[in-house]
Amino acid sequence: MLTSLYVEGTSFLHRMSVRAKLAGLMIIGLALFLVANPVALGFALLVTATLYLRLGLGVGEAFRRLRPVLITIAFFGLVNVVVLSPHEALTSTLRLLAILFLAASVTATTTIADFIDTITALLVPLERLGLMKAADGGLAFGLVLRFVPDIALRYAVLKEAHAARGLTLKPQTILGPLIISTLKEADSIAEAIDARGIRGQ
Amino acid sequence: MHIIFDKAELRFGERVALHPLSLQLSEPRIGVIGLNGSGKTSFARLVNGLVKPTSGRVTLDGMDTVADAKAVLAATGFIFQNPANQIILPLIRDDIAMGPKARGLKGKALDEAVEAVMDRFAIAELAERRPHELSGGQLQLAALAAVVVTEPKLILFDEPTNQLDLKNRALVRRAIDGLEQQAIVISHDLDLVSGFGRVLVFHEGRLAFDGDGAEAIARYRETAAC
Ligand SMILES: Nc1ncnc2c1ncn2[C@@H]1O[C@H](COP(=O)(O)OP(=O)(O)OP(=O)(O)O)[C@@H](O)[C@H]1O
Ligand SMILES: [Mg+2]
Repeated sequence: MLTSLYVEGTSFLHRMSVRAKLAGLMIIGLALFLVANPVALGFALLVTATLYLRLGLGVGEAFRRLRPVLITIAFFGLVNVVVLSPHEALTSTLRLLAILFLAASVTATTTIADFIDTITALLVPLERLGLMKAADGGLAFGLVLRFVPDIALRYAVLKEAHAARGLTLKPQTILGPLIISTLKEADSIAEAIDARGIRGQ
Repeated sequence: MHIIFDKAELRFGERVALHPLSLQLSEPRIGVIGLNGSGKTSFARLVNGLVKPTSGRVTLDGMDTVADAKAVLAATGFIFQNPANQIILPLIRDDIAMGPKARGLKGKALDEAVEAVMDRFAIAELAERRPHELSGGQLQLAALAAVVVTEPKLILFDEPTNQLDLKNRALVRRAIDGLEQQAIVISHDLDLVSGFGRVLVFHEGRLAFDGDGAEAIARYRETAAC
C-alpha cells in the first residue's frame, strides 16, 4: 500500500532545503525546454534517472509509481512521431522523461509537512495582498500530494472487489464507485480538518 | 462544559436522524448507547457543531454551535468512527503537529508539545510510522494524541473501541479514563461506559433513557430484545 510518495533517507536531496529543490526543479525544467539537442537531452535524462534510481526506492517500486505517467509520455511520444517528426518526438520525449525523474526525486525526498510549510511561506506575499490565506494554500497543496496516491489505492481495491466476484472491469462499473468513494473520503477529510481546527484560527 | 440541547432536531430531507431533543449535560463522563442508526453519531456531531440543527439550538458553555461555530470547534475534539480518516499527514509526528501549528506554535515549543503528547500515550516509537502501518489501537491512540495536543475542554469519541481486540480495548479505555477533559463516548462496547455516571440510550432517533450506566445498559438490552 502506498499512502505517500516520500521515501525515508539521508541522501543529499533529502538534506537539501525544500525551497532550493523547488527552485532547482523549476530552473532546470525551464532550461530543458531551451535545449533541442537529443544528445544533450539524453545526457540530462541519464543524470536525472540515475538520481531518482539511487534514492533507495528499489527499481521495481521506482518504476511502479511512475507507470501511469510513463505510459502517458510514451503515448504522446508515439503520437508525435506521426503528427510531428521522429526527431521532434525524440527530443520532447527525452525532455519530459528527464523532468519527470527530477520531479519524482523531489517528491520522494520531501515530506508533505515540509511541502506544506514551504508553500505556505511562499504564499505569504499573496496573503499580504489580501488575495488568499497562505495556510490554506499550503494545506490544499499538501492534501493533493497526500490523497492522489489514495485514489490509485481505491482503484486497486475496486479492481480486487471485481475480481473476487468474477466481474470484468468496465469503466461504467468502476468510475461511479471510484468517484463516489473519493468524494465521500474528501468529505470526511474536510470534516476532520474542521474538527481538528487545522485551518488556522 | 455545560451542554444544552434546546429542542434540537436533525433531519436529512424527510428522514429524521434525531427528533427534537432537550437536555442538559455537564458530567465529566457521558456515555451514549443504542442500536445502529439510532442517532448516536448525529447527536455527537450536533454537540461540536459538525452539523447544524435543522431546528432548535445547541450551546456549550453558552456558545452556540451555529453562531460561535469556530469557538465551539476549538473547544472540542472529535475522534471519528474511523480514525484513519482523521489522520491527514502520512507521518504520525507531522500529523500530530498540524493542530498546534495552526494555533501558532512553532520551533522548539512545537516539538516539545508533540513529544510530550506522544510520550503520554506511549506512542513515541510511532513518530516516524505511517497510518497504514499501525494497528487499530495504535491508530486510535495517534488520533487521540492529535486531538489532546490542542487541549480541548471536551472530547467526543465515536465508537473508539469498535474493531479492537481485548488488549487494545483495554489500552484505549485506560487512555480515556486518564483524560482530565470531559468526554462523551459513543459505544457498542458496553463495558466501556458501564461505570459512567450518565449514559444516554438512543432509540429510533429519540432519547429513550437517561440515567446511570448500569440502568442504561439494562434498558438498552430491553429495547434491543424486541
Ligand atoms: N448524511 C446523512 N444523510 C442521510 N441520512 C443520514 C445521514 N447521516 C445519518 N443519517 C441517518 O440518520 C439516522 C441516524 O444515523 P446515525 O449515524 O446518527 O446513527 P448511529 O446511532 O450513529 O448508528 P451506528 O451505530 O450505525 O453508527 C440513520 O437512519 C441514518 O441513516
Ligand atoms: Mg454512528
